[in-house]
Amino acid sequence: MMPGHIVRFAIAIVAFSILARLPVGLDPAFQFDAALAIVWGFGILSLVLLTGYAGQVSLCQATFAGVAAYGAGMTVAGMHGGYLLGIVIGVLAATVLGVIVGLPALRLHGITLAIVTLGIALVFDKYVFQDHIFDWFTGGTGGWQVTQASLLGIPVDSSTHLLNAYDVMLALFCVVAVLMVNLHQSGAGRRFRAIRDSELAASTMGVNLTRYKLLAFAISAGIAGLGGSFYPLIAGSVSPQPFWVFTSLQLAAIGVLMGVRYVPAAALGGLFMAVVPDVLTRYGHGTFMNRFNYDISYDWFQLAVGVLLVLQLILLPDGVWGDIRARASRAWDVVRMKPREEMRPA
Amino acid sequence: MTMLRIRNLGVRFGGVVALQDVSLDLNRGEILGLIGPNGAGKTTLFNCISGVIAPNEGTIHFEGRSLRFAPPHERARRGIARTFQNLQLWGSMTVLENLELPIDAIARRNTLSDALGLPFSQYAERAASERARGILHALDLGRHAHRLAADLPAGIQRRVELGRALAMRPKLLLLDEPAAGLDASETEHLAKLLHRVRERFRVSMLLVDHDMSLVMRVCDYIYVLDFGRVLSRGEPSAVRNDQKVIAAYLGEATPETAGEGAEAVVVTAEPRVQRADAVEVARSTGPLLEVKGMAAGYGHLEVIRDINLTVQAGEVVACIGANGAGKTTTLRAISGVIRPRAGRVTFGGADITGSRPEHISRMGLAHVPEGRGLFPRLSVEDTLRLATDSAGTPDRLAAAFEVFPRLKQRRRQAVGTLSGGEQQMVAMARALLTQPRLLMIDEMSQGLAPTIVRQLFQMIDVFREQGTAVLLVEQFVESALAVADRAYIFEHGSIAHEAPAEELRRDRGLISGSYLGSAPDSTEAIEVAANGNGHHRVVDPQLMEILSMRVPAEVKRALEERAEREGRSAGALALELLEEVNHN
Repeated sequence: MMPGHIVRFAIAIVAFSILARLPVGLDPAFQFDAALAIVWGFGILSLVLLTGYAGQVSLCQATFAGVAAYGAGMTVAGMHGGYLLGIVIGVLAATVLGVIVGLPALRLHGITLAIVTLGIALVFDKYVFQDHIFDWFTGGTGGWQVTQASLLGIPVDSSTHLLNAYDVMLALFCVVAVLMVNLHQSGAGRRFRAIRDSELAASTMGVNLTRYKLLAFAISAGIAGLGGSFYPLIAGSVSPQPFWVFTSLQLAAIGVLMGVRYVPAAALGGLFMAVVPDVLTRYGHGTFMNRFNYDISYDWFQLAVGVLLVLQLILLPDGVWGDIRARASRAWDVVRMKPREEMRPA
Repeated sequence: MTMLRIRNLGVRFGGVVALQDVSLDLNRGEILGLIGPNGAGKTTLFNCISGVIAPNEGTIHFEGRSLRFAPPHERARRGIARTFQNLQLWGSMTVLENLELPIDAIARRNTLSDALGLPFSQYAERAASERARGILHALDLGRHAHRLAADLPAGIQRRVELGRALAMRPKLLLLDEPAAGLDASETEHLAKLLHRVRERFRVSMLLVDHDMSLVMRVCDYIYVLDFGRVLSRGEPSAVRNDQKVIAAYLGEATPETAGEGAEAVVVTAEPRVQRADAVEVARSTGPLLEVKGMAAGYGHLEVIRDINLTVQAGEVVACIGANGAGKTTTLRAISGVIRPRAGRVTFGGADITGSRPEHISRMGLAHVPEGRGLFPRLSVEDTLRLATDSAGTPDRLAAAFEVFPRLKQRRRQAVGTLSGGEQQMVAMARALLTQPRLLMIDEMSQGLAPTIVRQLFQMIDVFREQGTAVLLVEQFVESALAVADRAYIFEHGSIAHEAPAEELRRDRGLISGSYLGSAPDSTEAIEVAANGNGHHRVVDPQLMEILSMRVPAEVKRALEERAEREGRSAGALALELLEEVNHN
């Protein structure tokens, strides 16, 4: 192992042990938020690979998560399989869909690709998740109810063992995050980044564009699916609402807001996306100084994301994490008393 | 042994023929030069070889195997590497990473083992990094290894591109304008570097460049492309003296050979006399356009500096000079497309330095950019309407169609489907409709056939008759000088010379030098000529034809001083001195 690998592994273990303690003792609603944060964390992590590394646009990451959620729900509730099998099937289904979505990306770029993926998200939202033809997959209007489940002998269902599920998800998230950073620093990651910077140069320097673009979509959909396949577990059932079009857009927006090129931004983004709306709906109404009534609902969250995104694009073009990183590295340079690099005249 | 064999290659983009019946052979270990004017199809040929575009007809064989069905990455694995005219480095990656990538892209690394950091990947990673460092060291780039490629100046980026191509262990290296934007000493350095690279890495090369001094020095054999065809080929010395090649670079040399063009010249002769009065009148009210000490550039690169230039009302002024000399950038800085970094631009008495382009165009300064800036899906009529609407001038389409009758037939056709010449007519008609006081046209004849070019130059006379001043950037020097009143010669980002067009037409040595560069031994010849001490050296007078402006400064000064003393032009003096030398 190279030193880099050891450091990353150590950071992941420290992060896991801190984050695993966070929701302990909180009320169940916040524990649910913590678990949901990891589901969306996986969603944003999938964008880090696809958009941050490979430079492809996708507005259907929540659809991948949804397909995996329904796949897992169907396996567990519909076919009475174990939850591990449910996760495998869910991730596989999402990966296959990812490859299919990746096919148009071989020809399309930028805004056209965004619209195509948005179209896919819409189609799945309206005509798969909410249509009776696919009742065998979605479990009908009631969705799949997952009441009892265990992973490798650990009980992980939502009603009583939510924190167990949270720990399993968190461990998986840390592992995938470390793999992603490894990927970024290695040959395969360089190939993805080369496609982002210049496809023309990448292809003439020996990068198989077809293979690596499809690979990026497949891995990305798989990661989003891994998060999604835990959703029936923590929520107790699957419904179309969490995976509708707007969630995909929100994933993309928050991913960019937090810094879509950095793996830790996925954790920040997931937390932001799960906790902030819940806090707003719960504590957002009341009376200020016994005189002014205020009522802040979930709608305010969407407005806030929009405003923050605009501010970020102006003030922190590399995202929140990108900014934190740059500041930290400058601070570190000061600590080491390293002379600042001269700015060449523009 | 033939390494690369190209037979009857043809490429068409819509109606435009980019390459036609091109055949070429490259032997192992050879450095082959590919030259030709702008739009001759050199980069298209490169794109065909590297697989970026598929030819319409013809075959390419590399080491005896057809490349027909090989995608770009497959060709890279077979050993074809290339650099790009417009740099294509991976800007957000470090220089080291830029070089590591092709090394392990060829090695077919496994994504999963990379992510897990398995020993196999670790080993490959270290090997790639070491090799990349070795190449960086050989190219004297070691200290830039950990900087982001996008942060480097363009000259170093070009070297990184060369290093990246070498990292693939190529058998054939395609170099697209490696000397663009380099000054004379850097170019010399590059020439040495290429020879060293050939010996050290044992690669064959195909080299495209506009800098003749580089091509002549480095290449074993040269192909000349013009209008997508092979115009001439041979050893550098033979190509340099080929009249066809000189003509292709400078346009037709004499009215006799120009055919139709001759009429154009005759036609222009008369109005110019009348114009002289108009220009005289205008001069008393101050120049229409005045540029003082302007500098501009892109990113870290300062392309032009200290540009001083004036255009009088109703005057036709040409800007000529080699590629990358800063002509286009000058036009862009004047019309507000980019912001000048220093200096002042006044137009019609008003200061327009750094104004927004739409504001400048409303004041009556129209800019027809290189590549024409048309909207391919708009019809001819809509394109012209758009111009009159946004400029707020009356709808005078009929007048435009009178000038360009061919456009009237095609008024409903989408602009993108027109031929290159017709598109240029649309661009000029559009500019004309805004009733500009000054029209700036960039590379009007680029990629167009000679007959069309002649018609377009006749149009410039029409503009002049309407009282529109014209500032022209042009590769066809002869045609440009035939129509222009005055000309500025650009060299390495500043104006080297300003003279009446008549004078420049007589004094061909002055211009051809700035285009074709000097042969390695011609500097000596000029030195001999300028000192007038007549060593017994026989110099080919045709060499003098393409005498360089890039002679050492002191030689040039000596030549100019003597010319001034004797009241003659420097070029004529040089020619005479040379004949004297010859005679002795």
